Amino acid sequence: MDSQLLNPTSLKSRFTARFLRALTKINAPNPISSSSPTPREIFQRYRRIKVAADKSMAYSVRSRTTWSRATLSRLRTRSRHRRLASFGPRSSVTTAAVLKKTSSHGKENEGGLGVQAGELRELVPGGEAMDLCNLLDETAHYIKCLTTQVQVMKTIANLYSLE
Amino acid sequence: MENHFFLDAGIPPQAPPLHFGSSLSDWQSLPSAMEMEMEIQSQDCFPTGYGLRYESAMVSSPPASNCNMSSESLMMRKLTGNSGEIPHHSQPMLAASSCYGTPMNSPPQLNLPLPRPVALDSSVADFSADPGFAERAAKFSCFGSRSFNGRTTQFGPKDSVEIAAYRSNPLAPNAKLPRVSSSPAIKQRVAQVGGTNNRSELAISQEESTVSEQNPEPGFKGSNSRKRKAVPKAKTKETSPSPSPNASKVTEPNGASNEKRCKLSESNANENGSGKSEEDAKGSSTRALEPSQDYVHVRARRGQATDSHSLAERVRREKISERMKLLQDLVPGCNKVTGKALMLDEIINYVQSLQRQVEFLSMKLASVNTRLDFNVESLMSKDTFQSNTQQQQQIFPINSSAASAFLGHQSQQNPPLHSNIANGTMTQCSVDHLDTAICPKLNQFLETVSQYPTFCEGDLETLVQMGFGQNQSQEMALHSQNFQGLNQVSGMKVEL
Repeated sequence: MDSQLLNPTSLKSRFTARFLRALTKINAPNPISSSSPTPREIFQRYRRIKVAADKSMAYSVRSRTTWSRATLSRLRTRSRHRRLASFGPRSSVTTAAVLKKTSSHGKENEGGLGVQAGELRELVPGGEAMDLCNLLDETAHYIKCLTTQVQVMKTIANLYSLE
Repeated sequence: MENHFFLDAGIPPQAPPLHFGSSLSDWQSLPSAMEMEMEIQSQDCFPTGYGLRYESAMVSSPPASNCNMSSESLMMRKLTGNSGEIPHHSQPMLAASSCYGTPMNSPPQLNLPLPRPVALDSSVADFSADPGFAERAAKFSCFGSRSFNGRTTQFGPKDSVEIAAYRSNPLAPNAKLPRVSSSPAIKQRVAQVGGTNNRSELAISQEESTVSEQNPEPGFKGSNSRKRKAVPKAKTKETSPSPSPNASKVTEPNGASNEKRCKLSESNANENGSGKSEEDAKGSSTRALEPSQDYVHVRARRGQATDSHSLAERVRREKISERMKLLQDLVPGCNKVTGKALMLDEIINYVQSLQRQVEFLSMKLASVNTRLDFNVESLMSKDTFQSNTQQQQQIFPINSSAASAFLGHQSQQNPPLHSNIANGTMTQCSVDHLDTAICPKLNQFLETVSQYPTFCEGDLETLVQMGFGQNQSQEMALHSQNFQGLNQVSGMKVEL
């Protein structure tokens, strides 16, 4: 392997930087000397880490893709939902309504791929409002970002586990 | 409807096939089978001396002919080369063209893609004299039996008037040609030919949609299949000086007339044309994927519906298939899968597995790093995670400390980590239990994760090797211990 530095502004590096920062924030409040954490704590931390991973990936992509925008809005809605319980349902309802309006038009030309396209739409965030053509584009970018995410997280996990 | 052409000529429709056997032997010397077939046809219908002339002309042109060219374009080229001799054989032309009318009646017998155009150019010069020829030529040159079915006799006794009208108004689609308006285009060609007898113009106009391929070079067709544009008749003179540079970017000044222009060559009948809009959009032809253009230019395919909806549908389908190909490269193991549905299933599975992997890894991170006061900033500042090599450099002190923890050595580098590391080893074991206890689906994750190459052992070994290269000998012992320790760790990891 060569020792060349990869592109510092690449998706991978951006995501890594953000994710590590988020990890330190999540891990910071834990006192080191505490005994083995309860499953509940671990579960909460798991959720936070998962959110941090998605968020940092979406932020690394900015708003270039539909799925990143959908992810960011979803995260913001959820955080808002948690903080302001009374106002939460409204935002989620409006977004759902908007999505329903836009989704009906674009799904005309799927051919015989309706079932799979529907499944893909569920998987890819923000996929409900896209026609098959754009959905495939988004899927490609989403796959690329997911693989980056998995790679980086695996590395981090291995590093952590080595200690 | 085609029968009455032959009735005009007074020749029985079944006459030509009888000549086949005799003419076969003459053509056996021809290089390509296609040419043979076509020339058999042509000779078949030229029982007079013109047939011999034709033969000579055709024999001379085989070297020039490209087997890639479609039959009718080939014949057209030959005929244009031969057109100089046409005026001498006006009478046989009648028989010839009418003979050529017959193959239309019985295409399966002849097994020719386009037997008809053979007679076209030979009778080109006579079009003005014989309106029936113009009509037939129009039909002949237009790409096959399918297009013929939609046609009726359009040329009446007032051919010249019509032709002039067409020439002046190339945009007017013929009401009798709902599907393909190639015959108006051909009429225009014919008109121009009859009026001017300009061979070059005729060649260009006749091969308008193949001009890009044939005139510059024969091989151009394949590369240009997607971007072919028809050169409208009214502007042949403009495009004739530069057919080749514009071949790939032939504009369509007459959007309306070009809407329904079908492709000349059969070989390209199956290729995709770029999308075309209804509006008269003058601009370079673009691929369907290039977003720089406002409109996507489509060419109506041969034998297919040419209304805007189906064109747009076809453009969409092509876009979708292109994207599926891209996705096929991204998703591993998709090469063997054929068909859109199966590939979509594969893609869905892959995306699901990736998402599950992310969840699993985040769970792992949540459980593992509870104990570790990881020096993250140092890693980040050195861009650790961008390359394995860098990771090796950074990890080194950590590896040594980890190894020392494993082996009970004291490490001077990170004293505060000692207790952590000791706990870390314990937590590692407990982590296993915790993992399985907390999340039963982790077992599923393990199965899915194991499908994909794990980071563990290979990279760790390289890490250590890199470390070997960089560090002093006093640490060599530690390194070797690290190596073993790492292997143990990786083994544990894999078991997880």
